[in-house]
Amino acid sequence: MQQTDIHQFLKRYFLANNCSIVTETPSYLTVQLTIELDKELMNRPFYWHYIEKTGGEATPASLTFITDPAFEDDSVQGERIHFGSPRLHQIFASTQKLGGFIHLYEQVASAQPTNQPLHPWLALNIKVSYKCDRKKDELLSLGINLINGQIIESFHELIINQNLSSKISDYCFTLSPFIKPKSAIARLTSYVTDYVKAQPTEWAEKAQERWYEDLALLDHFYETAEELPDIYMTEKTALQELYEPTILFKFINGGLFYISPETMSRQFNKTQAG
Amino acid sequence: MKVKLNIDETWEASFSTKLEQDGPWSAWDLYKLAYEIEDQTLISEFEGLQSPKHLADLTPLPHQLEVAKQVVETMNGKAILADEVGLGKTIEAGLILKEYMIRGLVKKVLILVPASLVSQWAMELNQKFYIPAVPQRKSYVWDQCDIVVSSIDTAKRSPHREIVLEQEYDLIIIDEAHKLKNNKTKNYEFVQSLKKKFCLLLTATPIQNRIEEIFNLVSLLKPGHLGNKDYFEELFSAKKRSLQNDEHLKELVNKVMIRNRRHDTGIEWTKRIVQTIPVEFSPKERELYDAITSFKGNGLHPSSAFSILTLQREACSSREAVYMTLKNMLERQEDQNSALTEHMITPLMELLQQVPQNAKAEKVLELVQKIDDKVIIFTEYRATQLYLQWYLKQHGITSVPFRGGFKRGKKDWMKQLFENHAQVFIATEAGGEGINLQFCHHIINYDLPWNPMRLEQRIGRVHRLGQKHDVHIYNLAIQHTVEEHILKLLYEKINLFERVVGELDDILTKLDLKNIEEHIQDILFHSRSEGEIKIKMENLTSIIQYEDSEEDQHAAN
Repeated sequence: MQQTDIHQFLKRYFLANNCSIVTETPSYLTVQLTIELDKELMNRPFYWHYIEKTGGEATPASLTFITDPAFEDDSVQGERIHFGSPRLHQIFASTQKLGGFIHLYEQVASAQPTNQPLHPWLALNIKVSYKCDRKKDELLSLGINLINGQIIESFHELIINQNLSSKISDYCFTLSPFIKPKSAIARLTSYVTDYVKAQPTEWAEKAQERWYEDLALLDHFYETAEELPDIYMTEKTALQELYEPTILFKFINGGLFYISPETMSRQFNKTQAG
Repeated sequence: MKVKLNIDETWEASFSTKLEQDGPWSAWDLYKLAYEIEDQTLISEFEGLQSPKHLADLTPLPHQLEVAKQVVETMNGKAILADEVGLGKTIEAGLILKEYMIRGLVKKVLILVPASLVSQWAMELNQKFYIPAVPQRKSYVWDQCDIVVSSIDTAKRSPHREIVLEQEYDLIIIDEAHKLKNNKTKNYEFVQSLKKKFCLLLTATPIQNRIEEIFNLVSLLKPGHLGNKDYFEELFSAKKRSLQNDEHLKELVNKVMIRNRRHDTGIEWTKRIVQTIPVEFSPKERELYDAITSFKGNGLHPSSAFSILTLQREACSSREAVYMTLKNMLERQEDQNSALTEHMITPLMELLQQVPQNAKAEKVLELVQKIDDKVIIFTEYRATQLYLQWYLKQHGITSVPFRGGFKRGKKDWMKQLFENHAQVFIATEAGGEGINLQFCHHIINYDLPWNPMRLEQRIGRVHRLGQKHDVHIYNLAIQHTVEEHILKLLYEKINLFERVVGELDDILTKLDLKNIEEHIQDILFHSRSEGEIKIKMENLTSIIQYEDSEEDQHAAN
């Protein structure tokens, strides 16, 4: 992530959370927090508790972020933000928390007032982690049509540029899903499971080798002991926790999208062609 | 192969609640941002280091990055980091810890360091690595904080011990791990009983004296890697040593240990300028010293052989040091009128009282005034430390004392006082380890330890990365004493002071000089004449020099 990306990211985060930008230069950004975001980021529960008890006037903090490492101006007091800085990662975590669940309708600009059906899609962005004593991740975005069960990969890309709103457009109606969300999630999970099973497993085999190697050494170490000490079991468990190959699924975010079949097939064909 | 699958169901639970309550739903832009962050911070390869990208205020050196990479990629996160003093083992450990945290492999961490370094470690991790490490001060810290820095002495004591053993640590880091060389100690037993997944042991001197010590260290990290005790002893015991076994051992050890030398880091080091300052005893001091020497070999007290050597060394330091030992000897006598008391302790006490001044301290004063800059004085004796502090004060020079027994806060405070207010820092041996004083570049060795590795550690406090000046080392030695023998016949012969740190322990290990300190004592005590001492010391140094040249040839090939 470059510094300019960080600057843009911060701006979008605060605007999306209804904060106002007080000052902005290419080097820094001053934002006025809302009460909600002050509670989210400033970690001062006692202050808020006090204000709420006494009915005092709430003054949410304003924050200045210096995003240009070369910026030097003592008259600007602010936090220097770079990739890796705790504040940025706090805001990342906050974004994940606040951006977890979605429910949107496609905006259909319809010339003639005909009733337009929208199909319900359940979207899931899933982080797949391949973990042993090392780890790598992969991000998968899937969508499932709750009417016919069709599953589409790279779903996020498909809908990202659509005109979406939290309110349904006039003359549009939603089809009732045949597939319940719970079962849709189960179908997507099993789809991802099939996917990861088809991936190379060399990493897992190697990890298991390392595990069994250390285990053999451990056994050898205690081979002459008359009675195995407790520490033997502790070490054995530690080796398992360290090496055992495991695949983790973590749902980053997801939710429901109501999209017209025309838009969906148009987008789908576009990505297939591209 | 079948791989275990683990599905996090927390999202699904919240989602169904939101469905039931029809919201609240996220803003579209926040939803997109959350995806973008995940996409951009995703780590799609097992290999490579992420940590440097996260550390804007730190530029790790190439060898430090290499170590971190190697530990993560080929050593499974279990390693002895054994760089020479001053090459930045803390940075290496920080890089590895950060890497595992970024990758989500490590959350709960225990960092065990000498008490004097607890605050320094916590501060460095917070400032340089943005790792929220907490010094252990209250017992709730153990389970409520993820990353805790503590001393072993605290952690191993009840009630801490029980709480610590209950925690599930992902990574354990132990600094100055050579202190765990003896598997009979409480510290060793405690560390052994900890559950260790990832584990880093940091030491500059992995093998100080005995080859068994490396066995004990490796067995903490990876039990069985060097076989079990019986097997190891059989294979590598002194009697059966052969080059073949040694090569094999080296290879095995290198699988779990990384050791960088100063000369292979390619970093420009400042120079060491060594100066030996001979000091002449005053007549009364000489009388005392000679009186002590005269008890050698007279069979007055069989177990006092070692005591006499100790007294000789102390006489070279201060009368206060001699006094403390004599006092202790006296207290240990059951019969206050024993022969020992009558013939040795009492006469020496009397001579002691006649000593009017301290020739060495006078020299130190002169030196400190001439240097006119911050100076560290190392002494082996606490009594000398107190005396020097008093003596310097008489002459208007401020100093701070430093020793192992100080509480952590006091150590930090002393270091700060030295940095900001005092000219002189007087440390006893225990103060020699771990603390970084590179803002100073003058060291006075007031007296010398008899283990060359300890001398290296002293110098390493100051001659390390970040030292901008040439480092001046002044060695004081009283002429015609044991001290001069050590300095002239041993340390100078083997170029100890000019030597790059770290070659020496290699050589000593190769020679299997099981305990060089005992060896030296033996020479000094059992020799009947100066001539004999010289010959025996020459033997010792020529063995070391020979091994040294072998080593060079080896390196050249």
